[in-house]
Amino acid sequence: MSVPLLAARGLDYRYSGGISALRDLNLTVERGRKLAVLGANGSGKTTLLLHLNGTFRPTRGELRLDGDPVAYDRRSLDRWRGRVGLVLQEPDDQIFAATVEQDVSFGPLNLGLADSVVRERVNGALDALQIADLAARATHSLSFGQKKRVAIAGVLAMRPELLVLDEPTAGLDGQGVVRLLDALQRLHESGATLVFSTHDVELAYAWADDVALFHEGTVLGQGEALAVLRDHELMRAARLAPPLLLEVAGALGVNWSAAPPRARDDVLSLLRKRLGAQVISGERAAEQAAPATAPIEGGT
Amino acid sequence: MMAIDRHAWTNRWRDWHPAEKLLPAFGLLWVAVVLPPLTTAPLVLIVAASAVVWGAGVPLRALLAFMAAPAAFLVVGAPFLALSLDLSAGLTPRFSPQGAGVALTSTLRALAALSCLAFVALTTPVVDWAALLRRAGVPSGVVELILLMYRLIFGFVERALAGRRAQAARLGYSRFDRALRSSGLLAGNLFQRGLTRARWLEIGLAARGYRGELRVLREERPLSRARLAVAMLGVGLTGLAGGLLARALS
Repeated sequence: MSVPLLAARGLDYRYSGGISALRDLNLTVERGRKLAVLGANGSGKTTLLLHLNGTFRPTRGELRLDGDPVAYDRRSLDRWRGRVGLVLQEPDDQIFAATVEQDVSFGPLNLGLADSVVRERVNGALDALQIADLAARATHSLSFGQKKRVAIAGVLAMRPELLVLDEPTAGLDGQGVVRLLDALQRLHESGATLVFSTHDVELAYAWADDVALFHEGTVLGQGEALAVLRDHELMRAARLAPPLLLEVAGALGVNWSAAPPRARDDVLSLLRKRLGAQVISGERAAEQAAPATAPIEGGT
Repeated sequence: MMAIDRHAWTNRWRDWHPAEKLLPAFGLLWVAVVLPPLTTAPLVLIVAASAVVWGAGVPLRALLAFMAAPAAFLVVGAPFLALSLDLSAGLTPRFSPQGAGVALTSTLRALAALSCLAFVALTTPVVDWAALLRRAGVPSGVVELILLMYRLIFGFVERALAGRRAQAARLGYSRFDRALRSSGLLAGNLFQRGLTRARWLEIGLAARGYRGELRVLREERPLSRARLAVAMLGVGLTGLAGGLLARALS
């Protein structure tokens, strides 16, 4: 097997108060994959992600970047953070400049690039997230979803090999999630490796290549998304319910060795095919029942 | 403040080079100060206000809101300039015609100056101010700090308002003593959240290679000599018209 892009072995981390946040944690980030760190809120996922770019230094254990142990001196950290980009959950924690363009230019300027190159990078990152029209806007006037994409663009403009995103879909509405995932998918297809934390099992099932199950400061298991999410014992240990789509697909008796349906529409069409005539009569029944959902009259 | 900021970012002249707005504004101010105020100051007021409303497309309502508070001070203060104290008869205020003249001219001048300020404030976003400060030789650290504070103020105000609303919803402001207690709690809470925010911002910036300097690309705005020339011509004509009118009237 090739050397993983980033690997954590036996990480322990204690906060200064002595509270244990991570214990004996192992995680492997393979090049070119989308890895979901899946776990309940407050289980320490953010603390883990903050180790992946050297913000936190483990109390015990080690991280390897391309097989080489990492160092925490100024120089090594700069190089490390140029290769591993971190997007925080709250975009306001990251956006500091007055305009979108200026904020996105911050990272590439810190890489020591010339102004003309930086300008190119900024435009490229804004295009990739389809927010070129926001370039000259004041950052404080943006919506939450827009800020989220600006924050990602600000990291993307540094062209990291690995993009680490903390709860990228948190706080976004359905449409916002779809747009963000589209953008991230395009990045992934252009070669970026992605790691994202989430508490959303459906998102992990629909979108991740690999899943690391996270529970109380440690990774219970890591592997291909389907294998991990179908492992009932592991999921129970992580106090997570299996994804609904996966359960429906299972109930429909899909062939797990072939590519099982992961998108909502695929599962639905499979369901329609299996139920056939019953669904059609069911839809008619729904039409007939429709008046019941009309506004209630004469309530007074 | 929020409204001024919004218009500064969205008006039609936003993308103009700041000098194209600042120089005419100073020109108008100078005209209002040195030329006979009775005719020139009202002209300057009209020209500056028209530029804001018809030129930059800022709603008249926003301009009036900007001018309202300082104008009210001027109008309230002016009558006192028209009075003089007569000390011989034991502190009796007396109307003086000379004082009335001073009151009128200084009020007109102040209003004209105010409209010049409004013209710049409502059309120039903060990034352009920062660029001007840099060019004027203000240390970059100071300019960075100003910009960062500017950016953070909006989040702070938002949180403060939300916190106040939440407290009011639980009757935190229903009595004077409760209001005192609530605002104290809110201040403490905001302080704590500010510290947390600062820590996270540091983590976020460090992830992007922050090394103690908040360097970003500068906005590049080409200076249009033609536009500047037209604007300065307008200033000149305003002064000329004011001067000629004053001569005709005297």
